[in-house]
Amino acid sequence: MEFDTASPIWMQVATRIKTEMVTRKLPPGAKLPGGRELALQYTINPNTAARVYQELEKESLVEMRRGMGTYVTENPARIEALRTEMAQDAVRDYLRRTASLGLSLEEAKALISQEEDKNAEK
Amino acid sequence: MLKSEAVTKVFGSQTAVDQVSLTLEAGHIYAMLGPNGSGKTTWMKMAAGLSKPTSGRILFKGEPVGVKSRASIAYMSTEPYFYPWMTLKDVGLYYQDFFADFSMARYQELLKRCDLTEGLKTKALSSGMMAKAKIAVTLARDASVWMLDEPFNGIDLVARDRIKEAIIEAAAPDKVLVLSSHLVEEMEAIADKGIFLRKGQLVKEVDIETERVETGCSIADEYRQIYGAQGGTEVC
Amino acid sequence: MLNLIKYEFRKTWMTKLIILAITAFAEIAFLITLYTNKEGLNALTILLLVMLAFGGVLLIGIQSISTMHQDMNTKQGYMLYMTPNSCYKILGSKVIENGLSLLVAGAFFFALGALDITLVFGHSGELNQLREMVNEFMKQLSLGVQLDGQMFAGFTLSFLCSWLGTVVAAYLADVISTCLLSGKKYNTWVSLLFFILLMWLTGYAQVSLTQNLPIRSVFLWHSLISLAFAAIMYVATAFLMDRHLSV
Repeated sequence: MEFDTASPIWMQVATRIKTEMVTRKLPPGAKLPGGRELALQYTINPNTAARVYQELEKESLVEMRRGMGTYVTENPARIEALRTEMAQDAVRDYLRRTASLGLSLEEAKALISQEEDKNAEK
Repeated sequence: MLKSEAVTKVFGSQTAVDQVSLTLEAGHIYAMLGPNGSGKTTWMKMAAGLSKPTSGRILFKGEPVGVKSRASIAYMSTEPYFYPWMTLKDVGLYYQDFFADFSMARYQELLKRCDLTEGLKTKALSSGMMAKAKIAVTLARDASVWMLDEPFNGIDLVARDRIKEAIIEAAAPDKVLVLSSHLVEEMEAIADKGIFLRKGQLVKEVDIETERVETGCSIADEYRQIYGAQGGTEVC
Repeated sequence: MLNLIKYEFRKTWMTKLIILAITAFAEIAFLITLYTNKEGLNALTILLLVMLAFGGVLLIGIQSISTMHQDMNTKQGYMLYMTPNSCYKILGSKVIENGLSLLVAGAFFFALGALDITLVFGHSGELNQLREMVNEFMKQLSLGVQLDGQMFAGFTLSFLCSWLGTVVAAYLADVISTCLLSGKKYNTWVSLLFFILLMWLTGYAQVSLTQNLPIRSVFLWHSLISLAFAAIMYVATAFLMDRHLSV
């Protein structure tokens, strides 16, 4: 994985794992690789890998079971909430960018519908 | 684990390392950064017990480094250093003869992963193959501290990932790894601490991820700020 | 320590093998010419064998000096100094390996020489008569010198010991040059001069301490003095390496 080295690597790996949770590539209750395997999988520092799970645990997205490993939360409501959070982030990001290009909220919304129509035509 | 107390090394009229005080804690991978001549190699050699500081001292687990600590501190020099009459198998046997923490099985596994075979003569190795062989034999030791001087030098992209994997495998809560490199980008993801040296002096010691959170700087950015023209410019 | 000695031997065994091979050739040539009565050629092979004996022993020492030099001045030094062994052990293994090699080479050439001389005398009665004449003459001079096995053994031992002393003196000069004088003007000349001074000192001690001794014990004393000097220089060399060597 290529990283943006100017922002924390644990955050980038966590985002990748979150996406996999939302898309069910990692279903609820799935066992995640151990800290060292995660470090090897992404070629990152083992402390950074440990940080990934700590942060995910803080957000109640994973459960670290002592001596057993790390598991995706079995609470489907939490995953649904994550989906909403991530979608909201994407929307905020979109609005921030369009605003920085000088678009009003109405114009930004209109652009979304336009894009939708284009896709429908295809 | 390793403590450098006001360490200075003078060669003739040249001060290679100037009053460097540092503490390296177990459980971290340190990136030792700086351009050529900033004192990285000289400091590492002193920490490895291969040369003595002009003043100051380096302690390993509370005792000055020396003959004894060489059994626990593994050093890999950036230049090739195997005897020319050796095959890679001989190199392994040599390490086995001298280092109690050396594992022949691990060495063979690492050689295999680097596409090297034991029958190769060290004289006949290309620079890239030699670089990989040096890392394989050094990481096949179960040392407390590894110091690898320019581990990515002369190694192609694919092999770099193999080497990073081997480094990650070696890292553990009770181990210290110090990697020096001028290929700063290679260090971004695998090191978690950065040590910046300039003209033999310690400029800065950072926790890399914390630095990213607080300043939005990668270590390459930091590097540019510290060593760039006119003493560096703000880049992030 | 045994491992260190093993690798010191491993670094130098090729030269030793080559000396042995050439000696074997010369010996065969010697035997053939002796028994085919080609006296001129036989004399030549004897000369060759004598040169090989001295040259071989000298070469073994020179190679040890050159290996030591490489181990201090090239990157292969890491191999040696990164091992958890003190300079005393590292240098000690070099001295022991070289001392043993010299002893074995000396004993080998001595035995070979003894064998060949016996063969020559057995083959030619005239030479035997010549030897007896020389010894008779020496007896009349009453110097107490006899050309016999014991005499040659004494000479060989003293030669080997003094050569070992020379090798260790060369180590010391080299360490001084590498560790103390590195980068200084006239480095090579100063260390060479120091080396010559050490040699002169040993020689001076040998001569002045054995002046009034009977010739038979002189060889033994010379050997002991050489070894004592070698021991002192070994300690001095290892001390300097321990303090100042940086590979």
